[in-house]
Amino acid sequence: MEKMNKTSKLSDIILYVSLVAFFSFVVYALYINQEVFYTAHDRSEFFYGATFLHSLMSKPFGLMQYVGAWLTLLFCKPAFGSVVMMLVWILIGWVGTKAFRLKGTAVALMLLPIACLLTSVVDLGYWIYIYPPKGYWFSQSVAYLLMLLLLWVARATPRRWHLAWYLLALCAYPVLGWFALLFVISLALTEKPSWRELLALFLLCFTASTWRTLLYSNLKSDEVLFAGFPRFITPLDSCDRLSLPFWVLGVVTVLIPLCSKYLTKWFVPVLCAAVGVIFTLSLMFRDQNYLKEMRMVRYAYDDNWKEVLNMAAENPRPTTTMVFLKNIALMNEGGLLDCSFKSGNISFPVYNPDTIHVGFLEISSPLAYYNYGMTNEAVRLNFENAIQKGFSPLYLKMLARCALAKEDDKLVERYTTILRHCPFYADWQPAPVSEKVKELQASYPDELTGVENSDSYLVNSISLWYKTDSKLASEQALFYAMISCDSHRFWPSLRNYLMKHIDEDFPVHAQEAYILFIDKFPEEKRMMIPVEETVYNRYKQFCETLARLVKPGKTIGTVAGEMGGEWGDTYWYYYYFGRQYSNIAERKDNEVQS
Amino acid sequence: MKRHIRSYFQFLVAVTLLFSSCAYHPDVPDSSKETNCLPAIFPDYCNVTVPCNIAPLNFMLPAGEYSECVARITTPDGKLLTYGAGVKVQIPEDEWREILIAAKGKSIKVEVWGKTTGAEHGNEKSEWLSFSPFEIHVAEEPIDEYLSYRLIEPSYVAWNFMEIAQRNITSFEETQIFNNKMTSIDREKGQCINCHSYQNYKTDNMLFHVRISNAGTVIVNDGKVSKVNLKRDYTISSGVYPAWHPTAKLIAFSTDKTRQGFHTLNPNKIEVYDMESDLILYDVATDSVMVVCNDSTLLEVYPTWSPDGKYLYYCKSVPLPEELRDKDIRSYYQKIQYNIYRRTFDLATRGFGEEELVYDAASHDMSATLPRISPDGHYLLFAQGHYGCFHIWHREADIVCMPLDDETPSDIDLTKLNSDGFPDSYPSWSSNGHWIMCASRRDDNNYSRVYFSYFHNGKAEKAFLLPQEDPEHHTFLLKSYNRPEFMVEPVHISVDEFSRVFQ
Repeated sequence: MEKMNKTSKLSDIILYVSLVAFFSFVVYALYINQEVFYTAHDRSEFFYGATFLHSLMSKPFGLMQYVGAWLTLLFCKPAFGSVVMMLVWILIGWVGTKAFRLKGTAVALMLLPIACLLTSVVDLGYWIYIYPPKGYWFSQSVAYLLMLLLLWVARATPRRWHLAWYLLALCAYPVLGWFALLFVISLALTEKPSWRELLALFLLCFTASTWRTLLYSNLKSDEVLFAGFPRFITPLDSCDRLSLPFWVLGVVTVLIPLCSKYLTKWFVPVLCAAVGVIFTLSLMFRDQNYLKEMRMVRYAYDDNWKEVLNMAAENPRPTTTMVFLKNIALMNEGGLLDCSFKSGNISFPVYNPDTIHVGFLEISSPLAYYNYGMTNEAVRLNFENAIQKGFSPLYLKMLARCALAKEDDKLVERYTTILRHCPFYADWQPAPVSEKVKELQASYPDELTGVENSDSYLVNSISLWYKTDSKLASEQALFYAMISCDSHRFWPSLRNYLMKHIDEDFPVHAQEAYILFIDKFPEEKRMMIPVEETVYNRYKQFCETLARLVKPGKTIGTVAGEMGGEWGDTYWYYYYFGRQYSNIAERKDNEVQS
Repeated sequence: MKRHIRSYFQFLVAVTLLFSSCAYHPDVPDSSKETNCLPAIFPDYCNVTVPCNIAPLNFMLPAGEYSECVARITTPDGKLLTYGAGVKVQIPEDEWREILIAAKGKSIKVEVWGKTTGAEHGNEKSEWLSFSPFEIHVAEEPIDEYLSYRLIEPSYVAWNFMEIAQRNITSFEETQIFNNKMTSIDREKGQCINCHSYQNYKTDNMLFHVRISNAGTVIVNDGKVSKVNLKRDYTISSGVYPAWHPTAKLIAFSTDKTRQGFHTLNPNKIEVYDMESDLILYDVATDSVMVVCNDSTLLEVYPTWSPDGKYLYYCKSVPLPEELRDKDIRSYYQKIQYNIYRRTFDLATRGFGEEELVYDAASHDMSATLPRISPDGHYLLFAQGHYGCFHIWHREADIVCMPLDDETPSDIDLTKLNSDGFPDSYPSWSSNGHWIMCASRRDDNNYSRVYFSYFHNGKAEKAFLLPQEDPEHHTFLLKSYNRPEFMVEPVHISVDEFSRVFQ
C-alpha cells in the first residue's frame, strides 16, 4: 500500500514537473514570436458589424472565424494576446481532461492537442504575409475548446441521449465546421459501438453535402467539405506542411479516448511533454532576419526611423525590405549619401523553405511608396494586397495615411471609423503627413503607368526625377541613379543635385560615384568637381586591389568575399559586386506595358 | 421546481418574441438647444422624394460628434412615431410600410434630435440639439423592385472574390446571382465576371460574362441557361458591353480591346481606355454574330436600344489628328472624345440605316458615354466628362439628360442629381421612367454607391442613396457598386444552376 502511495506521489510529481516544463516551453515559444503575433494582428482582417459577419457566415465555420479574427486583434499588444491564447489552451487542457475523463498521468495527453495548436501559430513563416485564413490565429483553438465542452456535456448525459448529441453536432456543422465531425467521432469512440454510433458515423459522411445543398449552394464543394480546416492554397502556391498540426490534432483527439486507459504509466507525462516540444520545435519557423524584418517594418510604420537605423546597423545580411527601409530612414534622419553604402545596399534573399514567393511587395512596398511621396502607387499596392489578403489594420492604417496625404478627408474618415471599432484602436488617428512626403509628392509630373509593383520600378522611377525642383527629390534621384548604376542618369542627377545643394559638402558616396563614373565612362559629358584626396586615393587602391584579386578561374563571389572586409563600405564595392537594378531602363519599357 | 423552470423559459421566450417584433420608440428629449440647420445625417435624406415602395430610409448622425439620435416622424394623417438607438435611426419595415401608405403622394415630416458627445463640440457637458425639421416626399410612382450590381473593390489590377448580387429595393434582402469562385478552374489566373444585362428589365432573358478561367458569356434564354463564345475571327474580342433588343432575341455588343492605366499623381487615379472597339449584333436563336460598325480608325462603344427597338444608339469617338495615330495612346488619351449617334434598325431584315449624330459632345469639348433612352422614348440620358469613355473615374463627370423630341434640345437641369466634383456615371431609367439611377463616388471619391433621383415632367429631384438596414453598412463595405441595373423581378436561377453550364 505504502509502495503504491509512493509510486502515485512520484507519478504526480512527474506529471506536475512535465506540465510546468511544457507550459514553460509554451511561454518561451510565444515570447520569441511576439513580433510574429504583432504582425498577425496587423495583417488579420476584422470589421466590426454585420457586413463582415455576414460575409464570413456565408461559409461554414464563419462564426468561429469572426470570433478568431476579433481575438487576433488582441495581438496588437502581443503579450496580452499571448496571455489570452495561453488561457484558452489551459482551458482546453482542463476541459479536455473532463471530456475524455483522463485520470492520473493520462492528463498529460492533453498536452498533445495544445502542442498542435501552438505549432500552428509558430510555423507559418512567410505564409503570414500571403494567406493565413481569416481568424486563423484563434479560431481553431476556440472551436476546439467548444468541441471539448460539448463532448464533456454530452458524456455527462445518459447514453440514450447520445443520438441527440450526434444530431446536434451535425446541425452545428455551419458553426463548428470540421470540429463538429471530430466531436461525433470522438463521442462515438468513447462508447461501445451500437446502432446509434453507426448511424452517427453514417450521417457524418453526408453532413457536408447536405449542408451544401441546404445553405451553401453558392460555394464550391471542397469549401464546404473542409469547413474550417486550414488549407494553405494561394493562386500560385500550396503548402501541406502547415496543415499537418491540424491533421495531427484530429488524429490525437480521436486516439485519446481509445488509448487513455492504457497510458497511465509514470513516464507518460514526460513522453507527452517531450513529444509536444519536439513536434513544435521541428515545425516552428526560426529565422532571425524574419523577426528583425518584422520589427523593422513595425518601426517604419510608426515612423520610428532611429530604431530602423539601429536595426539596420546590426544586420550584415539585410533583405530587400530592410535595405529600402534603411534608405528611407536615412532620407528622414539625414546622411543618405554619406552613410547608405557604409551600412550596405546589397540585399540577400529571405530564408524561406517553402515555394511561396514573398518579397518587398508583400512585406512593405506600400510603405516605401508612401514615404517616397508616390501616394497613388501606395494606394494601389495597398489595395491589391488587401484585396488578396483582407483589409487588415495594416492596410487600413496605410490607406488612411495615403488618403490624408491626398487630402481625401472623407476617405480618411471612412478608414478611421472602421479602425476605431477594433480593440486598441479607439483613439487611432493617422500620423500627420510629413513635410518630406509632401515635398516629394509635389516633385514629379503625372504619368499614366502600367502594372508596376516591383522594387526595380521604385528605383527606376526615382532615378528619373533628375529634373525636379525639389532639393529632397534631387538627392533621391542621385541616390537611385547610383543604385541603378546608370551613368546616363547619374550625370543629370548629379548636376541637379549640386545646383540644389550649393554651399553644401559633397557627400562621400556621391564623390565615390563621381570618381568611378569619370573613370569608367570618360567619353560621357561630365563636369569637373573637386573631390577629397583621401577618397580619390582610396579609389586607386580599390582598383589596384581589384586588379590584383581578379584572376582567371575565380568567381565574382570569391573576389567580393575577399574585398568585402576593406571595401564593403564604398559605392565602388556595390557597383562591382552588388548591383541589382542595372539595365532597368530596358526592362522599364517592358514593364510599363499595360 | 420543474414548473418554475418551465415558466421561466416561457417568460424568456415571450420577452424575446416581444423585443424582436417591436421597435424601440424612444421619447424625444424634454429640452434641447435649437439649431437652425438641417441635421448632418448619413445618408442625406433631407428633403428628398422617394418611391412609395422604398425600403426604410435608415440614417445616423456622425458617431464621433453625437452619442444619441432621436427622430420623430409625422405622417400626413397626424401619426407621430419616434425612433433611435445610439446614433442610428432604424425603422422596422412593417412600420415604414404603413408610413409610406399613409404618405403616398404627400410628405412626411422628420424632426431630429442629437445628443452631443461634449468633447467634440468644445463643451464639457453633452447636450441635446434639435435640428430644423425636413420632409421626405413620397411619390406616387413606385420604383422597380429589384436592382442588380457587381460588388468589387475599386478597380485596380488584382481581384479576389467578386459577385453579381441582386437587391430587393423594397426591403433589405440581398442575394447572390453569381460569384467568381464557383467555376474558376485556374487558380493562378482567377476568374472575372461582369456586364450583367437584362431584356426589358426582366430576368428570363439575361446575360453576364465570365472572363479568363472557364470564359464565356452566360445567356439565359427564356429561362434556359447556356454558355456561348461570342468571339469570331472577324471581331476584335468576344462581346463586351451588351444591350438586349427590347423585343427580339438579339443583343448588341461592343467588342473592345480595353486597357487600364494608373495615374502617378492625378487624383482620378485610374484611366480605362479602348485601343480598339466595334459593334456587333448577336442572334441568340442562331448563335450568329453580325458586324454593325467596325471603322478601324474610330472607337464605337456602349450600344443601347430605343424602347421600341427601332434605333440603336451608341457612342463613337471623334477622329483624331493624323499625327497622333501612331503614338502611344497614353500620350493623348485626354484627346479622345465620344459623341452619341444612332442608326435605324429594321427587325425584319436585320438591317441598319445610316448613322445619325444625336449629341455632339465634342463640340462642347466634352465626351459623352453610356446613353440610355427613357421608356417613353422622350429623353436621352448619358454620362459626360471631359474625355474618354470611363467616366466613373473622372471627377468632373456628370449625368446629362436631354429631350429627344425638341428640334433644338437643351439639357435638363440635373444639378439635384449630380454631385459637385465627384464622378457620377452609369445612368439608367426605371421601367416606368420616373426614377433615374446612377453610380456615384460622391461619398469619398473612391467607393461608388447607387443613387436614385425622382424624374417627373422633365425635372429631377435631389438624389438619395440606396437605403441599407444598417446605415453604417456603406462605411464598412469596402467595395464599389458596379453597373447597377434595374429589374422588375429577381433572377430565379441559383448560383448552383448557373455553375452547371460550366461543367
